[in-house]
Amino acid sequence: MSKYLDLSIDEIHQLYQEKKLTPTMLLDEVYARIDENMDLNCFITLCKEEAYQTAKELEQEEVDGPFWGIPIAIKDNIITKDIRTTCASKILENFIPIYDATVIEKIKSSKMIIVGKTNMDEFAMGSTSETSYFGAPKNPWNKAYITGGSSGGSASSVAARMVPLSLGSDTGGSIRQPASYTGLVGMKPTYGRVSRYGLVAFASSLDQIGPMTRNVYENALLLSVISGRDDRDLTSSSKKVEDYTKLIGSDIHDLKIGIPSYLVSDIVSQEVKDVFENVVTLLKKNGNTVELVDIDYLKQAVPLYQIIAMGEASSNLARFDGVRYGYRTKQEGSVDDLYELTRSEGFGDEVKRRIMVGSSLLSSSKAKLYYNKALSIRDDMEASFLKAFETYDLLIAPTTTTASYPLGQNQEDPLKSFMDDVLVIPANMAGLPALNLPAGLNQDHLPIGIQIIGAPFEEAKIYQLASYLEKELALDLEGGKCSD
Amino acid sequence: MEKLSQEEVKHIAHLARIRLTDDEVEKYRVSLAKLFESVDEIHEIKGYNDEILIAPWKEDTTLREDHVEEMLSQEEVLQNAPAKNGKFVEVPVMLSE
Repeated sequence: MSKYLDLSIDEIHQLYQEKKLTPTMLLDEVYARIDENMDLNCFITLCKEEAYQTAKELEQEEVDGPFWGIPIAIKDNIITKDIRTTCASKILENFIPIYDATVIEKIKSSKMIIVGKTNMDEFAMGSTSETSYFGAPKNPWNKAYITGGSSGGSASSVAARMVPLSLGSDTGGSIRQPASYTGLVGMKPTYGRVSRYGLVAFASSLDQIGPMTRNVYENALLLSVISGRDDRDLTSSSKKVEDYTKLIGSDIHDLKIGIPSYLVSDIVSQEVKDVFENVVTLLKKNGNTVELVDIDYLKQAVPLYQIIAMGEASSNLARFDGVRYGYRTKQEGSVDDLYELTRSEGFGDEVKRRIMVGSSLLSSSKAKLYYNKALSIRDDMEASFLKAFETYDLLIAPTTTTASYPLGQNQEDPLKSFMDDVLVIPANMAGLPALNLPAGLNQDHLPIGIQIIGAPFEEAKIYQLASYLEKELALDLEGGKCSD
Repeated sequence: MEKLSQEEVKHIAHLARIRLTDDEVEKYRVSLAKLFESVDEIHEIKGYNDEILIAPWKEDTTLREDHVEEMLSQEEVLQNAPAKNGKFVEVPVMLSE
């Protein structure tokens, strides 16, 4: 029975201030819930010793800001000093980082307690977390079903209420899509809003770290902590970090909201359409304008994404050569043998496939035909989005075409993992902030989410609409809690 | 859908510095072909702008102040090396006589 983990972080904070609860007591409950739910396979590494050590240190101090003593789970592609970081790959199975990612420094300085590193698709490549070297995490709403991916463990651990917060990363939907499948709020911030320093690179022009939480308010609060300029990531923005909770609770009417028409076309299942329609009706009833808008090239977003993501991945993953860190083949041979055997033995199937295609698309004359062309069309797609934001305050769409589905389905189809992300990829292509909000449940009692997409750096406006809908829809999302 | 030839798969694997077994070559003849067929859809797109968007990044890049910051020690840097010899990372012999 949860005593504290069902409380909001403000309530936990209150108990800390009243000295009715200590970080150690809360950690006891966190690790008990993790133990009870080991079958969900949410974590690759637990850092119990370090967590209790931090708790003890905090207990020597006065209670500080809202995140003081709040437990958090971190996706295992965000590096943590002295805590193993594997990217769910054999090639990094024993990798112990020697420094912290910038977001981890921020998490630590706001006094959160890292409880463990979460399971994911290997190098974040996949849509179900099934490509993990450590086996797939399971969806707490139905343990035979996928959590989505690639931030599957980060999603599952919060959905099962093991931790109140987690960090994920989103290259082509990897925060929003699993958030949709597990009934969470998940934000991919504007490209550049959060430093990528210490995020193991997959596709550098698309990757962003973001918060995954039980509700909108806590998501906005956590984004305020992790955002900001970082001299170690030259693509991080100098724009002032706002209080992203500032518009939460304020009234919404007279908003102009667009729906990218392709994102509600026949590719979306009826049960998802029904949930989405319900939201649209609600918004219209409250005096907002909601209408379809055409955004260029959404239909081709998947192949465009494949070219950019696989191309950049092939280049980023060239660093895994068995020389300076990571797995090295045991077979004797030349330096070329060392590279090739290390990579063949260290990478899983999905990663191999993607870096092979990426290497090929970037080789000689193909680079111009594919990568350059994709970047040109990406420029047009972004322009089309930005034009839409001259008319509309926000865009909305379903997050996924279906609800979660059984583990093991479609694993043989190399295109399936991309098609799962067809609705979430465009925001990465254009660098836009986008959030998943749980919006309904299907007949099998599985969550279905909607996506709210904003103009660059309009996160506060997204949270405003999301919190309004959250309140109006008043969904019971406790179904993911699993064992009690 | 056309399968890739064994030679094509081996060539692509070499570009990515991956060595495949014969069974794997067979498997990738199909799955790589599917991915190439998918990315070829962009050839249907005509009339796009020549401008490119490398990353959705609009701010000017600036140079940071040039001053010495805290650095990692040699021990730390070598900590994760799979094979080392004293202060060096060990690799197979690269040049033979």
